[in-house]
Amino acid sequence: MSFREKSTWVTFVLLLVMFVIYFSKAFFVLHGHSDGSPVPGVSLFGLFWLLVAGFVVVEIVVHILLASFSPKEANAPLDEREKLIAMKSTQPAFYVLLVGAFLSIGTIHLRTDAFHLAHSVLFIIWIAELVRYGMQLFYFRRGV
Amino acid sequence: MRGPLITNHIRQLRSDHNDMTQQELADSVGVTRQTINAIELEKYSPSLEVAFKIAAVFKMPLEKVFQYRG
Repeated sequence: MSFREKSTWVTFVLLLVMFVIYFSKAFFVLHGHSDGSPVPGVSLFGLFWLLVAGFVVVEIVVHILLASFSPKEANAPLDEREKLIAMKSTQPAFYVLLVGAFLSIGTIHLRTDAFHLAHSVLFIIWIAELVRYGMQLFYFRRGV
Repeated sequence: MRGPLITNHIRQLRSDHNDMTQQELADSVGVTRQTINAIELEKYSPSLEVAFKIAAVFKMPLEKVFQYRG
């Protein structure tokens, strides 16, 4: 497996884990527990930036490790196939983002507050990024 | 389902050129080893520029290295 593919896997898995943790907390804050019990105070703002910091640190450490195993590949610029994979993966992610953005705007008609709107936008950015990295992994394996 | 439109003999040509490795060919052409592997497996059709460079490494005309099955 190439350095680029390993790098993409790392980012994909980290994004997945980070936002599953975040949105599982955010869901309870937004909707409460299913038994109707009150939600203990959770600082979503603090959690978000904690996860972002963790994401950055883990990305840096893992990429330093990966690069130490294959320094030549890590320093090489993207070649034409890798550029094509990046381009073709961005296209479906853009459509997900576009549709999601319109759906998020649509939530205004549900009389939602800014907190809900911000999270629906964040959610769709997350899904679009997962689609982008997921499609890259698909093209790395299947060919482009 | 139709197979790839562009086929090639790169693996055979590497073998005929002192068992040239994919990495050596990749370095000569300026792409990654994975890209040479993808071209050999016909999972990726290279640009004209890379196709000409590959043919130049083997000192052969383009059509002897790549074939178009239109």
